[in-house]
Amino acid sequence: MEPDRAALQRGLAALGTVILGKSTQVRLCLACLLARGHLLIEDVPGVGKTTLAHALAHVLGLAWQRVQFTSDLLPADVIGVSVFERTRQLFEFRKGPIFTQLLLADEINRASPRTQSALLEAMEERQVSADLTTYSLPDPFFVVATQNPHDEVGTFALPESQLDRFLMCVTLGYPDADHERELLKSGARRELLPQIAPALNSVALLRIQAAVRAVHVADALLDYTLALIARTRARADLKLGLSPRAGQGLIRASQAWAYMQNRAAVMPEDVQAVLPAVVAHRLERREGLDMRAGSALTDEILKAVPVPL
Amino acid sequence: MDSRLRAVPPPLHAEREPLRPMLWTIAAFVAGALLNVDRIPLWATAVLIACAAWQLSVAAHKLPALPKPAQLILTFVLVTCVVATFHTLNGLPAGTVLLVVMGSIKLLETRGRRDRYIVIGAALFLLLAACLDRQALARLPLYLGDALLCCTALLVSAYGGAGLEIRVAAKLAARSLLLALPLALVFFLFFPRLPGGFWALPANDDAITGLGESMSPGSISQLTASYDPAFRVRFAGAIPPPQERYWRGPVLHDFDGYTWRRGVVEAYRQPALRYLGEPFRYSVTLVPDANRWWFTLDTVVGSPDKHVFFSYDYDLIAREPVTQLTTYDALSYTHTESSEPLSNFARKIESALPPNRNPRTRELAARLRERAAADPDFVRAVIDFFRTGGFQYSLTPPMLDLDSVDDFLFHTREGFCGHYASAFVALMRAGGVPARVVTGYQGGEWNPIGGYFLIRQSDAHAWAEIWIEGRGWRRVDPTAIVAPERLSRGILDILPNAVSGRTRLLYTTPLLVHLLQGWDALNTAWNERIVKFDVNMQLGILERLGVRSADWTALVAALASGLIGWLAWIAWHIGRSAGPRPADRLARAYARLCRKLARAGIARDAHEGPLDYAARIVRRRPDLAPRAQPLLARYAHLRYGPVGGEVAAAATAAFERMVLRLHVARRPRSTPLRRSKSL
Repeated sequence: MEPDRAALQRGLAALGTVILGKSTQVRLCLACLLARGHLLIEDVPGVGKTTLAHALAHVLGLAWQRVQFTSDLLPADVIGVSVFERTRQLFEFRKGPIFTQLLLADEINRASPRTQSALLEAMEERQVSADLTTYSLPDPFFVVATQNPHDEVGTFALPESQLDRFLMCVTLGYPDADHERELLKSGARRELLPQIAPALNSVALLRIQAAVRAVHVADALLDYTLALIARTRARADLKLGLSPRAGQGLIRASQAWAYMQNRAAVMPEDVQAVLPAVVAHRLERREGLDMRAGSALTDEILKAVPVPL
Repeated sequence: MDSRLRAVPPPLHAEREPLRPMLWTIAAFVAGALLNVDRIPLWATAVLIACAAWQLSVAAHKLPALPKPAQLILTFVLVTCVVATFHTLNGLPAGTVLLVVMGSIKLLETRGRRDRYIVIGAALFLLLAACLDRQALARLPLYLGDALLCCTALLVSAYGGAGLEIRVAAKLAARSLLLALPLALVFFLFFPRLPGGFWALPANDDAITGLGESMSPGSISQLTASYDPAFRVRFAGAIPPPQERYWRGPVLHDFDGYTWRRGVVEAYRQPALRYLGEPFRYSVTLVPDANRWWFTLDTVVGSPDKHVFFSYDYDLIAREPVTQLTTYDALSYTHTESSEPLSNFARKIESALPPNRNPRTRELAARLRERAAADPDFVRAVIDFFRTGGFQYSLTPPMLDLDSVDDFLFHTREGFCGHYASAFVALMRAGGVPARVVTGYQGGEWNPIGGYFLIRQSDAHAWAEIWIEGRGWRRVDPTAIVAPERLSRGILDILPNAVSGRTRLLYTTPLLVHLLQGWDALNTAWNERIVKFDVNMQLGILERLGVRSADWTALVAALASGLIGWLAWIAWHIGRSAGPRPADRLARAYARLCRKLARAGIARDAHEGPLDYAARIVRRRPDLAPRAQPLLARYAHLRYGPVGGEVAAAATAAFERMVLRLHVARRPRSTPLRRSKSL
């Protein structure tokens, strides 16, 4: 499996040249995809969400489609539509943009709840049902969605149940001064994309995903993960604790992270590394202006739960 | 034969016995036996060595184990030997030998941990036997070393497998002993001691040293060459001047012309004394010498102990020989007077001379007596005779013939205290003055470190007592007349060749003298405070602690509270350092590792994983990293990695050992230079 690891490192390096100074976030995004999870990139406009999504698709060497979500976007625009074929006298299903390996869903919170839920159902089941026929989505299949949480006019915030479908929610944030200077100097990063050679392809990616699933998870680590989850449920200031699905996701993401760290087994450090990205968007405080629990909350949880000896 | 029985696996001892625990067990037992080696017969030592050597060969797979029947026969034979030697299995000497012998046989069948525990237990009992037998300070390091050895052997054995590494085990053993120290202290201070010599077992056949009950010409010179201590005296208050430091011992009444004996004389009534001047209070600590004499400053007023007889001639005679360190307080007056007349009976005894011996002495006495008006004049004349007669002080005088006094006074004229006292008393008696020989010690060396006088065998002395009507018994020291310097200076100054070269070197080099004095003071303190620690001192401590009218109940209460205090201390210690006890071995070892690193100043946060912790150590304490990092990585692998079963158990044990072996310095060896970023 060494070539795969090398390819992965190449891919990371390539991503690093496009997205400047965000190596942790980039690694998290990659880990999310290696763990077969869907990714939500959440931030204000103009920090490179879409560029990151593009770069990911590019580097992974996957077929990709991009959908710009708007309030008048219909489920059929995403999933596809059955059209009556006059010559053959039957309805024929025209596959929508979702039938691809990587779907870029830009500004997902601008779409109506109906469209959102159509997409999210497809994400979860990795198949689409239309006209009594079920169509499987390709494998691998990822959704990389972006959204701007501060934009409130004309948006439909994703409910928790749907946010839960995203394995990770990554926030980019502004670049630091040095990297911003670099950005200003060199112009649009998206122009760099064509110059990047894909580091992986779908076959290699599937292989890596299998390897990630094989990363050892010790009982002790499960104990630690359970303690973390229990902690979120015990806290009185949270509306909901983490679901079992979130726990599964946490383990999978940790496995991917451990794989990227060239480890044969998941360490508590791996859990700690992915935990904010995996759980922050699933936790909500009961009160207060801060709707979405931020990194401060995940930090508190991490600090409150001792690593068992 | 039942076929099932044939399928039984080979007996346990066919399995490979790890060498190291066996080695340590043997070492502990042999060391315990060696502590008693001078008290066990040679054959028992031979048995011990043979068994140890055999078992060593078995452990090294050079010899087969001794079969069971042979062991049984050996046991029977050896126990019979013990009984034959001691005629009993009771008591310390026989018990010690029995323990050595049985332990040696147990060694032969030692397989596995349980057996090793038994043998090490026997070794500990041998240590106890040695402690019961002798409590000299010089043996303390030996006993401590043996205790450490036994505890180390226990730890090495307890660990199983190839055993714990020696350095680690020794450190743990020392730590355990230290932790037990407060408990030992509590027991020492407050465990109710049975009054009387509970531990003092009947004296063994130690050679009797010191003054005896007879004096022949030359007998005291053997003592004079010995620098062994006889007793120590600590004065409370005033100290008598040097010329008054006469330590009274056996008084000799009976003379056969050559030897003075205490004699089987009928005691006469002791004339009532009037004490003059101030008394001297002091305590004497006798070195055990198997004699019954309790020495006192001349003249003691009474017996300090109901078991010690205060004789008519002012001697203290104990009922039992002195076989253990004995301390007593006494009160003496150096000046006394007696106006009573001496009874005829007493006068007869103290004037008796063998009829046909020493004729020239009688002649001389008669001559001097004729010229003297009264007894004091006669005494003065005799003293003058000694002063002017050309006598010489010598520790190696020529042999005297049977009429020893004649030979000495008119022929050899060379001798030491015994000769002079003997001749003087003979002359007195011949001249009709009641007189007797008093043996004892004179002088003593002041130990400035301990604040006491050390009286050595070399201070042994003999002098005369004469009866002057109207004044009582007066001391006359003819040696002081012939050789006054003998009293003020040591034997070394006067006759350096009288003692061996080694003794001369030891007692004339100032530095060595100081060291010897210091060592003697230390020994004395040890004997007085530790060995002689008894129920009275225990109660004294309680009273100093504020307990009024302390008694047994107070002692038991103090013991109980001390015990509880110790347990509380241990509990607190464990609770503080360990926290809740981790569930498994790996966790315990990891907790120990974290504690060690925490002591080095870099504690793990509870939520910190092993790898983050290692990374932090690399950043903060690079000096620790080379040792700490591999351990943390190993733990991470064992805890979270894909390992299990046998491999995990073995690796965990290895990890435990590595953690135990780890030593971390509290401070970094070199502080990295801090560079300021700001200008």
